Amino acid sequence: MSAVTTESAVPAPRRGSRGFAIWIAALVALIVLGFGVWIYQVVRGLQVTDMRDNVIWGLYIITFMFFVGLSAGGLIVASAGRLFGVDRFAPIVRLAIVEATVTIATAALLIIPDLGHVQHIYNLFIHAHWLSPMIWDVTVILIYLVLSLLYLWLYTRRDLAARGSWLALGTKDTGRAGRDRDHHLTYVLAWIALPAAVLVHSITAWIFGLQISRGFWYSAIMPPLFVSSALVSGLALVTILAFVVRRYGRISFADELGSFLGGLLAVFLAVEAFLVLCEVMAGYYPGIPTDAVHQLFTGRYAPGFAVEVVVGLVIPFILLAVAGWRRRPQIVVVAAVLALIGIFVHRANLIVIGLGKAPIPSPPGTPLGIPQANGSSFATSSVYFPTIWEFLIVIGIVALAALVLTLAVRYLPLRDEPDA
Amino acid sequence: MSASYPGIDIPDPKLQKATRLGMVVDQDRCIGCWSCAVACKEQQNVGIGLYWLRVLTVGGPFMDTPAGTFPDLTMSYQSTNCFHCDNPPCVKACPTQATYKMANGIVNVNYDRCIGCRYCMVACPYDNRVFNWRKPVQEPPASVVAVGETPARPKGVVEKCTFCVQRVTDGLLPRCVVTCPTGARTFGDLDDPGSEVSVLLRDRPSYVVFPERGTKPSLHYLIRTGPNAVGGSL
Repeated sequence: MSAVTTESAVPAPRRGSRGFAIWIAALVALIVLGFGVWIYQVVRGLQVTDMRDNVIWGLYIITFMFFVGLSAGGLIVASAGRLFGVDRFAPIVRLAIVEATVTIATAALLIIPDLGHVQHIYNLFIHAHWLSPMIWDVTVILIYLVLSLLYLWLYTRRDLAARGSWLALGTKDTGRAGRDRDHHLTYVLAWIALPAAVLVHSITAWIFGLQISRGFWYSAIMPPLFVSSALVSGLALVTILAFVVRRYGRISFADELGSFLGGLLAVFLAVEAFLVLCEVMAGYYPGIPTDAVHQLFTGRYAPGFAVEVVVGLVIPFILLAVAGWRRRPQIVVVAAVLALIGIFVHRANLIVIGLGKAPIPSPPGTPLGIPQANGSSFATSSVYFPTIWEFLIVIGIVALAALVLTLAVRYLPLRDEPDA
Repeated sequence: MSASYPGIDIPDPKLQKATRLGMVVDQDRCIGCWSCAVACKEQQNVGIGLYWLRVLTVGGPFMDTPAGTFPDLTMSYQSTNCFHCDNPPCVKACPTQATYKMANGIVNVNYDRCIGCRYCMVACPYDNRVFNWRKPVQEPPASVVAVGETPARPKGVVEKCTFCVQRVTDGLLPRCVVTCPTGARTFGDLDDPGSEVSVLLRDRPSYVVFPERGTKPSLHYLIRTGPNAVGGSL
């Protein structure tokens, strides 16, 4: 009890109360702007994007995959720590669950602007087609969202009740026995949450990996690769958030935890690099020049792959592998940011390379849906780069995620009891 | 009733009873004139920039260019529309059952169910589906030229060749088949051993596109036998 009282008594972060207001105002402005642009897109149709009939999916789906990964990674870290008794995670478990909850909701939201006829979205529920991996994904994401919220509530409800918050949802008992029971319940829930987190990203991978139409995607390695990308990006984001939130005094942990997280991230990066290597070898070795893997090394997309490997894998791995370096929070945060960039570029490469070339390469190619500037309505290959409207919509949704995250960090009891 | 063309459109009750409608395109006859594609756009009110049927040039670097180097040149076309696969990846992928396989083998789209996620287009190995990125633009407007009873499409839904399902329901041949000036396209029931398509496939060597993908297309191409023939698929 005493710990809780102390925690509640912590004053609102002294530093930047004014900065906090500006931050919130900026986020709200971006959200409103993004929403406005989305309305514009609904009125004009998806012609306002740079997607066309060849590169059918773009920034929305790339960011969707990225956020599912962030979420799965966060929850895997939180629940694996609980399951396997890695108690050192305890100070950041609640933060990791908040991160997982916010990012999965964001991922679900990112699908909305991608839909051409969003007015029909209810058909996903009343005419669900159970052979479609997309329906599996809708289902698992909704279940997973509920699970994350339940998990978060179990972790925080006693502290919320102690504060008299309505968010405790009826929980009144704040005694030791109740807390111990909840601690057991979180263990039980971790057994469900861990496989659910692995599954949510495997199924997202199957949306791509089960399609025989796209050679670059049709591969058994997609689910493991997606899960490993999730671990890298999820842990990276949790690590960054942990340091930021600690700075504002909302959680506290020793620097050793930071270097432990950095070491773990190095391991995840190594696994990711291994899986990327496996994928590239299988595509490259037979020497079929039309295999999409060759586009990773030559041509337009080679720089992207270089960024993915050098900036996203090699540099952060080196930064984190040296024990002396990863003891310094700044270096861990820099490495985590690089890893996040690398995973995002990895996802972007997957989409633009996977869809960039017409499956039947004969001229004139694929009808594009809208005539190009040169008058032709066909192309055998296309370059995609998001339009300003796509960026604004995605930024608006990410700002909404940042807003919810900020409020959750500010108003939820994220501090683990020292003696729990 | 569909608008019909007197003297050309003779209803065939067999088409109405078919269980596996298919098409055969004779590569010896196709001259790459795009008449089928133009007729298709008119029949189905397909918007500017969208094509349900396109004529690919085989082997050449650009449209209407031959394959090979002089003097060993070959010229060949492959008119391509939805293959109405027996194992259609698009139908499997569609999350709302908006794309479905009819009892007569036609793969059709229910525009009222389509949410515009474009997963079917990702799943199609042939790029035979097109998306309405904007409100469809018809030039001249559909009210002037419309001949078919194709439902109007809103913006944001996927569309594709339906084997002219409205005409087939009336026992009429698809418009591209009727229009082809060289008679390269034939249409009928692949399950009926006596149909024109079945006879052609028995008598002449043929191919389908990407047979290794296991989609079992219902559109077959008769391999060229004439001078400078190019055999096999693309």
